[in-house]
Amino acid sequence: MPACSVLLILKIISLKIRIILFFCFTVLLSAILISACKKNDVPVDDGTYNPTYINFTIPAGWPAPATDIFVNNRLTEEGFQLGKKLFYDGRLSKDGNFPCASCHQQFAAFATYDHDFSHGFDNSFTTRNAPGLFNLAWMTKFHWDGGVNHIEVQPLAPITTQNEMAETIENVLNKLKADTDYPRMFKSAFGNSNINSQQMLKALAQFMGTIVSSNSKYDKVQRGEASFTASEQNGYNLFKAKCETCHKEPLFTDNSFRNNGLAVNSFLNDFGRMRISNDKNDSLKFKVPSLRNVVLTFPYMHDGRIYSIGQAIDHYRTGIITTQPTLDPLLVNRIAITNTEKNDLIYFLNTLTDTTMTKAARFAQ
Amino acid sequence: MKTIYPSLFCFAVILMAGCQKSINEEMQTGTLKVTFKNTVKGNQMALNSGNYSNQHGEQYTISKFKYYISNISVTGVPIVPNSLYFLVDEGNPASLSFSFDVPVNKYHAVSFTLGVDSTRNVSGAQTGALDPLNDMFWTWSSGYIMTKMEGTSPQSTVVNNKVEYHIGGFAGANNVLKTISLTIPVSTISPVEIREGKTSEVFIEADFDKWWQGTYDLKIAGNPAVTHPGALAKSISDNYAGMFSIVDIKNY
Repeated sequence: MPACSVLLILKIISLKIRIILFFCFTVLLSAILISACKKNDVPVDDGTYNPTYINFTIPAGWPAPATDIFVNNRLTEEGFQLGKKLFYDGRLSKDGNFPCASCHQQFAAFATYDHDFSHGFDNSFTTRNAPGLFNLAWMTKFHWDGGVNHIEVQPLAPITTQNEMAETIENVLNKLKADTDYPRMFKSAFGNSNINSQQMLKALAQFMGTIVSSNSKYDKVQRGEASFTASEQNGYNLFKAKCETCHKEPLFTDNSFRNNGLAVNSFLNDFGRMRISNDKNDSLKFKVPSLRNVVLTFPYMHDGRIYSIGQAIDHYRTGIITTQPTLDPLLVNRIAITNTEKNDLIYFLNTLTDTTMTKAARFAQ
Repeated sequence: MKTIYPSLFCFAVILMAGCQKSINEEMQTGTLKVTFKNTVKGNQMALNSGNYSNQHGEQYTISKFKYYISNISVTGVPIVPNSLYFLVDEGNPASLSFSFDVPVNKYHAVSFTLGVDSTRNVSGAQTGALDPLNDMFWTWSSGYIMTKMEGTSPQSTVVNNKVEYHIGGFAGANNVLKTISLTIPVSTISPVEIREGKTSEVFIEADFDKWWQGTYDLKIAGNPAVTHPGALAKSISDNYAGMFSIVDIKNY
């Protein structure tokens, strides 16, 4: 250890020099300490990082999210606002015309209103119906086939896919770096101005993951703040008897993958989850979508082939192809629903619309 | 006043020791440099220009050759934190070597994980070597491409005679993660001898020829492209698990 030699040197020099040395040593020491403790993956706190932490609120009576999507992505107001700006920014797409919000419209519960397929770069069409974006914190697998396993990596797919936003992540980051606002916003959100894919994706997850739909008439009835009409109540009873296994309350999906007996679209030849699992038992299975905001998210099914709720119910009454080997066992006899019941069911499904979410300024551009 | 200097000095030493992450301050260390040497049948791999052939006489070239390395240990002593990944990329010479502080000792074995562990495949956006910018992450079916080879072959039946092996899969029977344990052939090569303040270098060869055979007989004509997890990817990974060997040690 060089401590002894340091002591020796100190003993033979004058007090003045010692005082000067003391200051030099202190400064040097601080510099060494700061550099020794610095880690690359931790935000550098230069005293200006002072984010407003926010809590994610689970609606009363709801299950806890299956995974804590914010455990490694602590929610801050700054992170949320950065995510929102990114969500609405066309520069995430190749030609500037396709922000996330072009296919995920707030007034349509963040689905694409009245489109079976959404429009992508260079007059292309997507190959599946855009799902609504809400209550994603309770979702562990994303896309109709569940191919994406974490909300943070989901945006990589639409951003880079040729018939959606058609851009490279590298180009997106370069555009953000050249912007006047983003470096400052990244710094307020994460404590450093590194505009990298990880921080961009975490910010998007903070925005999308906190969109919660829990204030429909149905929710108000559950909380005792409103009551169903007779038809709505009949529809709800019927729903609980005939639909609830798959469209499980309160999320109105069990997040499973099932074959609901649709004919194969010969243009798309989309066999759903089998593409991800390579398991023929998963042929024609798609994610059970939430029925929350179902009035707004038409058309329905993975390829948007059904345009009205009535027709969707008719599919389960009479349209199911019962010869497909992977057809869900719950559907082999189709679902018996009378015309009156169908009407009541539609009245009930209308109570699942949450205009608090679809009109929330917090989620709007 | 006189006593302030030694106490300040001790304070500094203690604090700095507290900041040190892996290696004990009192332990003497040297540097271990690990260098990967990618070859085909023992000859230095030449991207794009090298003309190669496999056991079926199928001709091919290689344009990309990349793989993930982590959890490096020397004779059972972990020398890098679990969270640190390295992407060895034949197209990026700087990626072929990396150095670590290692306690002074003699070492006869090196082991590492080939691939990205399952946790990292399901934990959202990553950075550094695992940044999706490195083009080693599937966006449509989340997961890392653990090893990647691209090239061409006249025997390939797909567009532009492409050959593409993107090998990944982290779950269940089709998990392609491999623990590679290499012993230094001490009869011909001296062991790694880490001395204080000095550098030793271990040269690990990765012979691409091993991808074609081993437990599975891979033929370009039959499978010019393997680009998603599954039984075939698993079989190829069983082959390439045998591509590594320690070919030289230098104690500088």
